Amino acid sequence: MRHESVSVTGVTTGQSPLFTLSGVKKSFGSNLVLDGIDFELLPGEIHALVGENGAGKSTCLGLLYGLHQPTDGEVQRNGQQVRIESPSHAQALGIGCVFQELSLAGGLSVAENIFAGRAPSRFGVVDWPELRRRAEALLAEFDLSINVSQPVDSLPISTRQIVEIVKAISMDSQILLLDEPTSALTPDEVDALFKVLRKLTAKGIGIVYVSHHMTEIFAIADRISVLRDGKKISTTPTGGTSQGKVVAEMIGGAHPGEVERSDDQLGDVVIEVEGLTSPDHFMDVSFGVRSGEILGVAGLLGSKRSEIMRSLVGLMHGHSGNIKLRGKSANFHSLRDAMRAGIGYVPEERKTEGLFLEETLYNNLAAASLDKHTRFGLIRRRSVMEASERAIKAFGVKTRGPEEIIGSLSGGNQQKIMLAKWLERAPDLLIIEEPTKGVDVGAKFQIHTELQRRAAEGMAIIVVSSDFPELVSLSSHILVVHEGRVMGDVAAHDATEDSLLQMAAGLSANGGRPSAPLQKGMNP
Amino acid sequence: MSMAINGDLAVKKSPMQRILRAFIDIRELTLLFMIAIIIIVMANLNPYFLSFSNFRALSVGMAPTAIIVIGMAILLASGGFDLSVGSVMALSSTVVAMLMLAGYSIPVAVACSLVLGAVVGFSNGLLVTGLGINPLIATLGTMSIARGIALVLTEGFSLSSLPKEFGWIGKATMGGLPVLVLLTMVLILIFDLAVRHTRFFRQVYFIGANEKAAMLSGIHVGRVRVIAYMLTGILAALAGVLLASRLMSGTPTAGNGIELQVLAAAVIGGASLRGGEGTILGAFLGVVFVALINNSMTMLAVSIYWQMIVIGAVLVSAVALDMLIRGRRN
Repeated sequence: MRHESVSVTGVTTGQSPLFTLSGVKKSFGSNLVLDGIDFELLPGEIHALVGENGAGKSTCLGLLYGLHQPTDGEVQRNGQQVRIESPSHAQALGIGCVFQELSLAGGLSVAENIFAGRAPSRFGVVDWPELRRRAEALLAEFDLSINVSQPVDSLPISTRQIVEIVKAISMDSQILLLDEPTSALTPDEVDALFKVLRKLTAKGIGIVYVSHHMTEIFAIADRISVLRDGKKISTTPTGGTSQGKVVAEMIGGAHPGEVERSDDQLGDVVIEVEGLTSPDHFMDVSFGVRSGEILGVAGLLGSKRSEIMRSLVGLMHGHSGNIKLRGKSANFHSLRDAMRAGIGYVPEERKTEGLFLEETLYNNLAAASLDKHTRFGLIRRRSVMEASERAIKAFGVKTRGPEEIIGSLSGGNQQKIMLAKWLERAPDLLIIEEPTKGVDVGAKFQIHTELQRRAAEGMAIIVVSSDFPELVSLSSHILVVHEGRVMGDVAAHDATEDSLLQMAAGLSANGGRPSAPLQKGMNP
Repeated sequence: MSMAINGDLAVKKSPMQRILRAFIDIRELTLLFMIAIIIIVMANLNPYFLSFSNFRALSVGMAPTAIIVIGMAILLASGGFDLSVGSVMALSSTVVAMLMLAGYSIPVAVACSLVLGAVVGFSNGLLVTGLGINPLIATLGTMSIARGIALVLTEGFSLSSLPKEFGWIGKATMGGLPVLVLLTMVLILIFDLAVRHTRFFRQVYFIGANEKAAMLSGIHVGRVRVIAYMLTGILAALAGVLLASRLMSGTPTAGNGIELQVLAAAVIGGASLRGGEGTILGAFLGVVFVALINNSMTMLAVSIYWQMIVIGAVLVSAVALDMLIRGRRN
């Protein structure tokens, strides 16, 4: 597989690689995480590394950035065998890395952050004007206008991400490792980032690009390597494969197809909302969800979609209008009231709102349904354990068992448990926000399947998401909100990502211009 | 195409608003302002307050605290702290006295006790970075051990009849100002500049703000932390030597409880237990502020017990105010 002559866009073939991994193995204890990986990066190439969480991508990046050392196999830099001992060693070898989690010091200036620990100095004293000049020069190279003297925590997250990337570039890296660089960026910013990346590759810098976003990968990568369970499945030029094929390779089977939906399976109306209005947030919101139906709610940041949901479940008050649950008026004072009435609410932020990160999987799972597992005031451990095992099996959660601390699971697996926690209550109406935010394709597929299965069993589900393709493939109806107003209520099979975006951005109401329907089931 | 990403969303403000903002944002300015108010009020309440002798007593009294707060502020900025400073101060004051009484020359005795301070700091650093023990527990342990050693060495008694020349640093004056105070000012100035402008000390802020990120940025986190603890130990030992010189005795019970006063002063001066924040000047002004309040209350004949209550309230209010301002800004 190595050194094959591939035709890579923008890369002359036959160049010697910037680095090569050959037969690299890595185990943590008895746990084999990488099992004989061959991987190479050519100058000027963007090489995407994809795989489900736990496939070994992060470990690969960690090996190249000196966070781990391989148990077996060889790492070569410019043809010479190396053992990368530490991040500073990696930097000395011209390897820069941008991690998924932001790694900036909030109170310090942009300029100082870019040159963290490497500020230009004379006799140990920092040369501030020079520091600013260099930071500005770097930013200017990428047409960025950021005031380098302002503290990083005064910047929006997306800008911090850019600063982070500039920081990695500032080390004169020939190799750049990017782990989910676009997770906090808007589409415009992603475009801008891609321009930056293309400028870098034009200078001969090679980029390893780890991402879950297939569309982005297919837009930017020259080659794609797929990892699964610590093994490399394939390396192909982007032109020679398709999104469906890559996803299939990632999850190791047929790629997720569309689950058939039909309207005649729908039951009674579970929730009916009429003219819901909250003066500071939203106006005249009306919709209904029937048993067995999945209603999608599409909205961008600031659309007040969460506020609407929070008003339904008793977390926000001060609204007028009618909410009817199974025909009865339902104005809840608290989430507990709503839960008792048969509503489940899965919040958006799993780390801060949804989970007890330092608790075990089983405690997290049981947290919303303690009544069910309690007899005579005592929690029945066996019942909790059985429920945990069921959830682990139903969702294919990758874990050592119910005793594992939830915070040590991958994001996708955490998300599954957070959902399972609410499904445990078997609510009549499940409201879930951003069900697949930051999870990989496999987990996304499993979460979607489970939601569809529950709907088929008669649950009414409201899915709030800014991932519009997700809504199109998952729901039967989509309610589009913009700045607290309903812009449209469209049948999913008539909706396109584009028409939804138009409405969500407030550019058109109910429909927008028609265009080809989105390819369903293909959106990772 | 220039990317429209700029966090500078702040609405244009009038110069007056900006000055006000700076006063609230820059802790040093806020404290200077408060200190000025105390001085003005006290000058009117008690004429003796503004006298030279009161200021000399005040500044000599707070010199050891001011020297120790330098190390504490650096540690706090790195996300750590050190409870053993008071004990190290006592240990070094007894060790320097014992060595001189045993016939060693003054420079040798002083050097030895500073090295001892460095050793305690080094152990603290190793416990915290090497073994990963929480700084609270690690330095609580060394605090007890160091104090214990000082008491064992002296069997609890103070050591007096030290060589006369040793008293020079603690008692001499230059141009009317106590050498002790001048030395403290010089140290504050040097360390404030160093922490603001040297590459080594800037790393401390990265570590305090986000340790993992600092490591990923190629900063030698462990090394920097250990050096910060050593520096704190040396400064605490220096404070002990200076105290011994001023009192002309080695006192194993010296500096009891000073670690908490120092912590409080540093936090009032803008440091945070979360790390990544604070300056030496701010911490020093915190010491001055607390010392002035104590001094004022003594002059107004407020009982020492009430003084404790007031200092506690000041600490909590300073931090609460800070949280409120931050909360509003976010």
